[in-house]
Amino acid sequence: MTTLTQDYTTNELMVVAAARELQDGDLIFIGVGTAGRAFTLACGIPIAAARLAQETHAPNLSIYWNNLLSPDLQQIPPKLTQHYLTTWPTAAQLHNCSDKNDMLSRGMFDVSFDSAPQIDRFGNLNITAIGDYKRPTRRLIGCLAQTDHFAYVRRPLILTDLKKRTFVEKVDFITSAGHLEGGTSRIDAGMRPGGPSRVITDKAIFGFHEETKEMEILSIHASSSLEEVLAEMSFTPLVPDEIPVTQAPTAEELRLIREFIDPRGILLVS
Amino acid sequence: MKSKLVDLASAASLIPSGASLTIGGSIIRRSPVALIRELIRQEKKNFTVLAYPAGFTTDLLAGAGAVDRVEAVYEGLFQFGFSYNFRRGVESGAIDIRDFSEVAMAARFRAAASGVPFLPTDAMLGTGMAAHNPEQVKEIVCPFTGRKLHAVPAAETDFTLLHGYTADEYGNVQFPVARDADDLDPVMAKAAKRLIVTVEKIVPHSEIVKNPNLTYIPHTWVEAVVEAPFGAHPLSCDGYYDEDEEHMYEYQRLMKEERFAEYADRFITGPANHAEYLAEALSPARVFELSVR
Repeated sequence: MTTLTQDYTTNELMVVAAARELQDGDLIFIGVGTAGRAFTLACGIPIAAARLAQETHAPNLSIYWNNLLSPDLQQIPPKLTQHYLTTWPTAAQLHNCSDKNDMLSRGMFDVSFDSAPQIDRFGNLNITAIGDYKRPTRRLIGCLAQTDHFAYVRRPLILTDLKKRTFVEKVDFITSAGHLEGGTSRIDAGMRPGGPSRVITDKAIFGFHEETKEMEILSIHASSSLEEVLAEMSFTPLVPDEIPVTQAPTAEELRLIREFIDPRGILLVS
Repeated sequence: MKSKLVDLASAASLIPSGASLTIGGSIIRRSPVALIRELIRQEKKNFTVLAYPAGFTTDLLAGAGAVDRVEAVYEGLFQFGFSYNFRRGVESGAIDIRDFSEVAMAARFRAAASGVPFLPTDAMLGTGMAAHNPEQVKEIVCPFTGRKLHAVPAAETDFTLLHGYTADEYGNVQFPVARDADDLDPVMAKAAKRLIVTVEKIVPHSEIVKNPNLTYIPHTWVEAVVEAPFGAHPLSCDGYYDEDEEHMYEYQRLMKEERFAEYADRFITGPANHAEYLAEALSPARVFELSVR
């Protein structure tokens, strides 16, 4: 084991934590992000994590980003406008939407990365509407494939910053059905097994209790504390008697991220 | 084969107020924007819009107060942010919204394309989309396995409006070889009752037959074809031009402040036709900057 170092950023810690959830042979879905923090959370950290896993314990992991299967992620274009995506000549296949939908419902994807303005105790997500669905106080963006990820992907990962208004007792609208009301409710509703497996945030990492399916703290980052974590949540998750500190990146993992995976600093932008 | 080539105004005049429309393209890519501007110019309204991801075209119609109902997987403008007109429409109750996941909405277009009344899907079990839309998302039991599923209805609309790359006068529409991952335009085209396609350029039939494998919409599906260069502007048309970021940021600045009328004066109802729009919206230098050919 390489010597541990404290000299790492929260983004790098999130990359390493996500990479450790990925397995050899996995097919990973990474979505599109816009700019700034949204890009880092939706694309930057997931891509860096998937690349890190490929370079360490999961050489046979495949990445599907946007509509590109196995793009050469050493050559990400400087801009991501339509033309750069159209002419980036490095993907093994350019899927159409029908292929991607079939791959989802056939159950071909192992991991997806998802995020939402509202996440509840049982890992249900809301990206559709705040308040009443038909007369919302704030209409959001709809569903996209986040619904399909939670229906079909084996181990969806939620990647987001911990915020009180995000982590709510109950989502206003279920866009993505996670563990629904907990217990066996997901299976009782006729859904396939699965549901979100981990919630990786800037302050702590959560899982879902094996039986009750309630969100539970798995570890807290060295830079944070239980007090701070609970202050950023509108519900109290399950808290174990002894809370481990999130495993720090190794020197080798940091070297791979900084020198090989993101040397231009375009993935972990903010 | 008979010629189906018409001008933009004639194509739009086929579509009455109150019609249901499937609009192709994707958010900020290759949507029939010139045709939507012409519908607004002709003061058509009360549309129901079906899309895969809705985007700029739906927001324009919402700005004009011309849309009553939307069924789609997403409404927004991607890197340019929220779809403000649409959002205000839903929040005020003026727009009836029916959300579907990507798998479920694609199943609806496929059902229409293959002529069956519905398709089964388990994508939306346990979700709010199912709970809030019992008339379109109905629980069924698989007759073979006994599994719980949803039936979602075929996405049948009065008209289907697409923007494409090249076509001949008969309506054989072709892809370029280098293009982005395709969205659902070919499925929507096959599903159409009445299909209107605008294209960047009308080419001789002899050009089409050189590469018939690139024809994704055959003439037999098409009612009218229109030549509309920069017909997706300010959106992108992959292989032809990139999205016009300056125009989009200015659009968003105005929409955020509820200034659609001002935008429409300058870019929709002010110009008498698509040629006048292009003169107003695109300087020769800007055409050169956006072109990627």
